[in-house]
Amino acid sequence: MNITGMLHGARLLKLAGFPTPEMLGPDASESDIKALITKHGQVFIKPVFKGGVGKKGKAGLVGRATDLRTALAEKERLYFCEHHHGNQVAKSNGVTFEAGVPAEHEVYFSLTDNTRFRAPTMTLTHHGGVDIEELDKTQIVSVPFNPLTGLKAFIVANALSELKAPRQIISPLVQFLPNLWDLFHDYGMTTLELNPIRLRPDAKGRLTPVACDFKCGFDRDDPRWQRLSLPADLFAADYSDFEQEINQLRTYQGQSDVYVINPKGTILAPTFGGGANSLVTQMLGDDASISSDFGGNPPYEKMKAVARICFKHWLKQSNVLFIIGGKSNNTDIFETFRAMADALREHFGKYGAQPLYLVVGRGGPNLVRGMAVMRDTCEALGIPYRIFGFDSAMSEVVDYARRVDAWMKTGGRAEVARGMKLAA
Amino acid sequence: MIRKSVGDFKYFTGIESLAQIATREDRVCVLNILGGESSEVTPVGHAWSGANVVFGTSPGRRGQVLETPAGNIPVYNNVREGLEDGHRFNCGVVYLPPSAADDGVVELIRVNPELTKIFIPTEKMSVHDAREIRAMAQQRGIDIFGGNSLGVADSWTQVRIGGALGGDSPGDTLKKGSVAILSNSGGFTTTIAQYLRMGGWGTTTLVSSGKDVYIHYAAPEFAYALGNDARSQAAVLYCEPGGYYELDAEFTKPVVACVVGRWKSKLTRAVGHAGAMSGGGDDAVSKERWFMDKFGVNALFTPDNPVCSAKGAVVVNIADIPAALTAVMATNGVAPDFAPEGTMELKAWFGSNMGVWLPAELDLPVVRAAVPYDAQVEAIDRHVGTVFARESMKDASGVSQMDAKTQVTRLNGVSVLDAAQYSLEANVSLALLKEAGGENDCQLVSVAVGAWLNLHGEATLAAAQAARDAGNAPNAVLAAALAIVGPRRTERARAIAQALIERFAAAGLKDALDQSFPLAGLLDAGDAALMLGAQPDPRAQAMLDGLRTRGTRSVFVRYLEQLGGHPSFDAVLAAITTTLGWGPLMRKRVSRLTVECLPAWMQLFGTAIGASVDASRHEATRFCGVDEVDLLGRCSLTEVAYVALLQGQPGASDLFAFQTLVGLLLTNGPGTISAQGAKGAVSSDGPEQPERVQLNKGLIGFLTHCGYAHGGNGFEGVAFLLAQFKDSGLADPGSPAPDVDIDVLVTRYVEAYARYKSDKKTSGNLDIMKIPCVNHPVFKDKPVNLDPREVFVGELMKKRGEHNVFLTFYKALVQKLYDAGVSRNVYCVNVDAVIAALLLKTVWPAYRAGTIKADALETAAFTVFLYARMLGCAAEIDDHLNRGRNMDTRAPASACRFIA
Repeated sequence: MNITGMLHGARLLKLAGFPTPEMLGPDASESDIKALITKHGQVFIKPVFKGGVGKKGKAGLVGRATDLRTALAEKERLYFCEHHHGNQVAKSNGVTFEAGVPAEHEVYFSLTDNTRFRAPTMTLTHHGGVDIEELDKTQIVSVPFNPLTGLKAFIVANALSELKAPRQIISPLVQFLPNLWDLFHDYGMTTLELNPIRLRPDAKGRLTPVACDFKCGFDRDDPRWQRLSLPADLFAADYSDFEQEINQLRTYQGQSDVYVINPKGTILAPTFGGGANSLVTQMLGDDASISSDFGGNPPYEKMKAVARICFKHWLKQSNVLFIIGGKSNNTDIFETFRAMADALREHFGKYGAQPLYLVVGRGGPNLVRGMAVMRDTCEALGIPYRIFGFDSAMSEVVDYARRVDAWMKTGGRAEVARGMKLAA
Repeated sequence: MIRKSVGDFKYFTGIESLAQIATREDRVCVLNILGGESSEVTPVGHAWSGANVVFGTSPGRRGQVLETPAGNIPVYNNVREGLEDGHRFNCGVVYLPPSAADDGVVELIRVNPELTKIFIPTEKMSVHDAREIRAMAQQRGIDIFGGNSLGVADSWTQVRIGGALGGDSPGDTLKKGSVAILSNSGGFTTTIAQYLRMGGWGTTTLVSSGKDVYIHYAAPEFAYALGNDARSQAAVLYCEPGGYYELDAEFTKPVVACVVGRWKSKLTRAVGHAGAMSGGGDDAVSKERWFMDKFGVNALFTPDNPVCSAKGAVVVNIADIPAALTAVMATNGVAPDFAPEGTMELKAWFGSNMGVWLPAELDLPVVRAAVPYDAQVEAIDRHVGTVFARESMKDASGVSQMDAKTQVTRLNGVSVLDAAQYSLEANVSLALLKEAGGENDCQLVSVAVGAWLNLHGEATLAAAQAARDAGNAPNAVLAAALAIVGPRRTERARAIAQALIERFAAAGLKDALDQSFPLAGLLDAGDAALMLGAQPDPRAQAMLDGLRTRGTRSVFVRYLEQLGGHPSFDAVLAAITTTLGWGPLMRKRVSRLTVECLPAWMQLFGTAIGASVDASRHEATRFCGVDEVDLLGRCSLTEVAYVALLQGQPGASDLFAFQTLVGLLLTNGPGTISAQGAKGAVSSDGPEQPERVQLNKGLIGFLTHCGYAHGGNGFEGVAFLLAQFKDSGLADPGSPAPDVDIDVLVTRYVEAYARYKSDKKTSGNLDIMKIPCVNHPVFKDKPVNLDPREVFVGELMKKRGEHNVFLTFYKALVQKLYDAGVSRNVYCVNVDAVIAALLLKTVWPAYRAGTIKADALETAAFTVFLYARMLGCAAEIDDHLNRGRNMDTRAPASACRFIA
């Protein structure tokens, strides 16, 4: 749940009273663009991405124009451009035209929670406008502060003194930066980064900080972001249909975290526990269709709903239904297994039987009763199965599931189909 | 006064030694103690920890208690009330939802100056709140564990606080030893302790740190307290990507660090643990490196490459932890705490290839489960049949389901369209045993139900006839008879069924038709007393003869015959029904209760069909003109029911029509009035004590919830068709070239209907009579509308070369209505028209001959509905009996309305 760019960033910064450059959105008319160029001398044309997309400038995805023709050419180039960063590919849909802000000073500013200080922390440098990672550590200052009192002016002033920042930028930054704490803390953000903040002189030479780029991340477990009335589809790109369906069930009682790993995966692995999620996802790799954590003792109805959605999206292509977790402390194995077993029966009832192999590895309360429900379901549906207790190493069970999948891929699925009297 | 921090941390830390984390002196207050998670977890922890919880809070519930094996824990509205009542505590546990967790922390901190530790199991707490909680606790000098933590436990003192470590039986996992655990995963805290035990290592203090962005009690503090804990010789750390906590930890004792989550660097957001997202320099690879640097090793520890030092080892698989720890400790000259308790190799507790060939490496044998689970597995294995969880079954069913799109209902997964192709006796099995009966089953059902058809001289027949003579509709007639067939009438057969199940399940019988199953060792004197009579029982003998004539197979009947006496009627009945139920019972399709109830169902079905026939057709040795020898030895139940309903010997076409009718009418889901009546009858008896539920009353509930508008309305279509064909001279409605001009009949009706409709509109009266059996609330608004059920039966008839002039009439009618501008589009011919057409075709010769009158036709139309729906409702009753709760069909007062 991230936002980058000034299209939405400018609106959020207004809430903190933080100045932003004059800007036009994707539907700006040619005359408006021309007027903006005439007024400010130049405009920057930036693609609009959904989500947290960084390093656009480095990728050549920021245009600059001093005339309308260039501006329109850049608009055409960037409107639907693609940006590859890390493992992600983002596609732009629209551009912004942002007025150039003449300035001598560029500042980097961010707020985030730093695990070394275990406190909210401001990171600041007056050598902004570049990647923060490229700077020498002496040029940056990171200052933790008390969230109960917030980011106060003296914290900014002290930091700038420590940085030996030019005197003329200290007052305007001390005046404006503390306001950003309210935006960060009151709207459920986990990160807020402005880079660069350009210090624009007025007629008398007084400087005003102007945020020329914006990044923030929201905490998905904090509903405060909803106070911002952001467009409903702003974070939609983050989630597939499947993930969105599961997210609707996201309540505090019982996890329902999923992530689509490989839409063509052949192992469907409902996983219980954050630790198991890390282990299983790592070992299965691309053989798995999803990474999930359904631990936290979900009640029967929720577990069944989650399983029903998982089966609807992924079971057909799956060779192995792999239910895996450690020795649970609180998650009731009977309840969760009964819910999944019932969902499986219903799925077969609704969509028809299919070749499948069930592998289970689990421990916890009501274990044997839960396993027996799974066994009975497999027996009723004709599915071959192996159910392992917590005394089998989880990694060995994962490996067994992988070997079953490999066998299913090389003729095993047809064997199972024959056994179940089905077409493969 | 603010406590003094230990060590030289940049922040407050109050724990000097791991031994101080969970002690016998700690006293605990649990917020939201009656919440779902706490009410399960707290009693176990409280009892295991020597009753360490002094009180809990739950706003508005002061005076209540949480029952635990170690006594009741008092509940107050808030913390202050508990303190005012004289309770004192130093540990607070916050079992509150994420939006309220920080409020709970503030309450604990503000109200109790003696507080030293807070435990937060809450998941999905916002970072915003975690920030503030951290700051508040730091100001007041309080240690926090969590959020998203499963608390802490101490295997030495046998204390756990703030979560469910060790599950519902902590002692099974937490064995006293020399290893401390700090884990980002609550589940893995217990799992690692379990793995360590199997490797010969016990534990000291276990800390589930949680893996939110803020980890309040983390690796640096743990390392410090580990160093000061004389009991702990080593530690295991389980960590995931994200956060720099481990980097600053300074260990003075050997450590095995398990770092999992390399793959997570591919993720763009957290799955599972909110804080398990790296920002770049804190990913899994970086963390592996941190630990390798601390331990002075240059590679990960794996079984093939066991790299370690005296300081520690790094693994990426939790299964390698015990071996790594043993290797590290061996370097330090320390042996395991005790002998290893097991191995980590694959052990399948349950498994089956289900007849599929598997490669040897996958074909793992099923092995005995670990103690004490092995005894539980044995007990489960002894259990036959399935067990359904009880829940409210109001408007819910585990047997029937209507597809809203096609309006086709499925009974036990079989569409009624398919069921319409089964015989009546096969549908008996489908309804009660969830599988349509095979050939042997059908023969058994025909005998078991057939034995109850003839009610000659029975009170049931007298009651039915009296009801009939008093002008009751068929449903009330049947109800009068069934009211007499109370549970006592099949008590003995039920007891015999129970005994047979017990004996043969223990003997390992898989196939009830297995003629070679050895019986010699099973013969039992107790069974003989239960199942045999002093004198030969003619009814039992007649059934046995019938079974023999039909060539049926049954291990149970064979057993009866080998008991060496005179099998009683109840014994033969129970032997037949247990044979029917054995396969589904073994396949866990049905419960044992269902199979035990089968003798009663056979009696109820037979009595109902018998009672639907006038008393004059019951004779001493004949039923509806069918000799009892034939009834039990030759006729199918479908044939006999047809004769009972419509008289005359059925041809193949008649039987097809009859069983199609029965199939289509079996069920329409749990929402139908008939099913509601049946389910209400079960619910009011209380299915949680199933032995008290009167099955006959269940069927009476169904019968009282049928009537002229529900069940009897099939006659509307028949009456309509009779009116159209009355003077037509139609001789054979099944002829491919009927001797009537359909077009003339249709045109005549449509013209008359158009006039009628126009007159009504002209007079301003919009209460226009609808044409029976055309149009449908779902299948409408297309240019040409079709009811898929009618289409299905039509195609079935086509395949069989069957013709039905009444159906042809209906199809022509809807087209003509459209052509004449009476309807906006071509209405569908709905399934009721199919029922009327099939029924009328069957009785048309008798009707023409005058041997059956229109009112008898109405009775027949109603009765065929009752025959079919009786099976569907029996399925609902059995389902409700197995799954329902007492009085679960009642509507809450808030859902009821008063109409003034």
